[in-house]
Amino acid sequence: MNDGPGGSAKPFDPFEPYRGMRDASLDAVARVMVDAVNSEGYAQASGAMLDACLTASTPFREALGRSMVHALEQLSLPSRQEVASLAARFTNLEMRLDDMDAKLDAVFAAQQKAAATAASPAEAPNPAPPAPAAGKRTRPAGAEAGLPGKRGMRGSKR
Amino acid sequence: MAEAAVGPDRPTLYEQRLQTLSRVLTTRARIAQTPRQMVWALNKARLFRYIPVVPAGQRHRIPLLLIFAIMNRPSILDLRPGHSFVEHMVQCGYDVYLLDWGVPGIEDQELKFDDYTLEYLPRAIRKMKAVSGVEEFSLLGWCIGAILTTIYAAMRPDDGLRNLLLLTAPLDFSNRQGLTFARWTDSRYFPLEKVLAAFGNMPGEMIDYGAKMLKPVENFVGNYARLWDIIDDPRAVEAWHAMNTWVTDCIPMAGAAYRQLIDDFYRHDRLMRGELVIRGQRVDLSRVRANLFTMIAEGDHITPPCQSVSIMDKVSSRDKELFRIPGGHIGIMAGSAAHKLTWPHIEKWLGTRSE
Repeated sequence: MNDGPGGSAKPFDPFEPYRGMRDASLDAVARVMVDAVNSEGYAQASGAMLDACLTASTPFREALGRSMVHALEQLSLPSRQEVASLAARFTNLEMRLDDMDAKLDAVFAAQQKAAATAASPAEAPNPAPPAPAAGKRTRPAGAEAGLPGKRGMRGSKR
Repeated sequence: MAEAAVGPDRPTLYEQRLQTLSRVLTTRARIAQTPRQMVWALNKARLFRYIPVVPAGQRHRIPLLLIFAIMNRPSILDLRPGHSFVEHMVQCGYDVYLLDWGVPGIEDQELKFDDYTLEYLPRAIRKMKAVSGVEEFSLLGWCIGAILTTIYAAMRPDDGLRNLLLLTAPLDFSNRQGLTFARWTDSRYFPLEKVLAAFGNMPGEMIDYGAKMLKPVENFVGNYARLWDIIDDPRAVEAWHAMNTWVTDCIPMAGAAYRQLIDDFYRHDRLMRGELVIRGQRVDLSRVRANLFTMIAEGDHITPPCQSVSIMDKVSSRDKELFRIPGGHIGIMAGSAAHKLTWPHIEKWLGTRSE
């Protein structure tokens, strides 16, 4: 088991003789346990225990939830559900922003393509940049440094 | 205390061992350290680009996007310096991206596979394309991430996906006798709706407990016995510490997605039977045309090999390979032999298809 330097430098371990016995017994117990948890009986018993726990705790959980909502209401504070609802709305907003980001990316890409097309005849005296060969690629500004692009990154402010 | 009488070295040795034990059991190892930059974010999801170390001209043209499960941290793909799949791929000249799904809050309990595959994933891919400047890409899905990437590949076959890599992909749930999870979550026993009504999202601790109970002795006893065995080997202890840090970092799974996983996949095997409906559209696996690489871990008890084989006959991909490898669900990618066996094989397969 030990991958490191061992041999004669290894200190005396009084537990060493028991290690083989331990491993053998663990293996034996492991096999029995794997068979046990693979049985229908285990599935049924664990399901029944979980069901009983949840059934028993539900009234308390609901009562606690109701009283918490009531207390928060009295304190003019938003409930958990209200905060969750607000978070969901923020996510929707983020998605709209992402849609706009996608459209802007498309516009910039089209612009770059148009500019490249327009520039190529004018630059005829100079040798044109070679087309990206296999293994190479064209990248937007900032990409090489791992930057998301010229327009910055929404998520970076988080 | 009894060892004090045996010799002067003994207390120091055992003190050291106890200190090591205490440290690795009570602290978190530094994992996921490969330099990266966030390039996109939506809700809890984050898309990271790993800073390339190979000059642009020598890199592979096609970027690689890594997708891990939604109920574990993706840091297992970048476990520790010198033993990180991400680091390996970056050094091999790939433009590597990682989509981290984040930790769902109570407001995310309605998130479904539909949202992950048709809302988050396409947006992240669009951003990756914009950043990399390349229209084609490779997707690597591991565990539940493989379900998400497979659904995506079937729903969006014209999005530029060139290579699809599935690692220990739980896709086929027809062999119910061979799936312990399927037995546990059987509708006769498992109170799915009660659990979700109680917690909203499926708690990470319950998922972790379920995964560990598949091999209870190994996980609850053997793992710590092994730590004691390697306690004098600093390198082995650091490896154990890093893995333990990842294993114990449980995150919940969005309630609606968990309901789908149990009901659509474990109970009814809807994906393979062609009955899975995502956003009103049936998921047709024959629409997957990307080059396909499927990796099966022979000793996987979480996703037994039988779950990942039948996908090969369902897809339309002409270029496909099924690769079997000894090891467990996580061990094949993060174990001590991963850098000799798994990563080179993935790199070899992907390298010729990334130009």
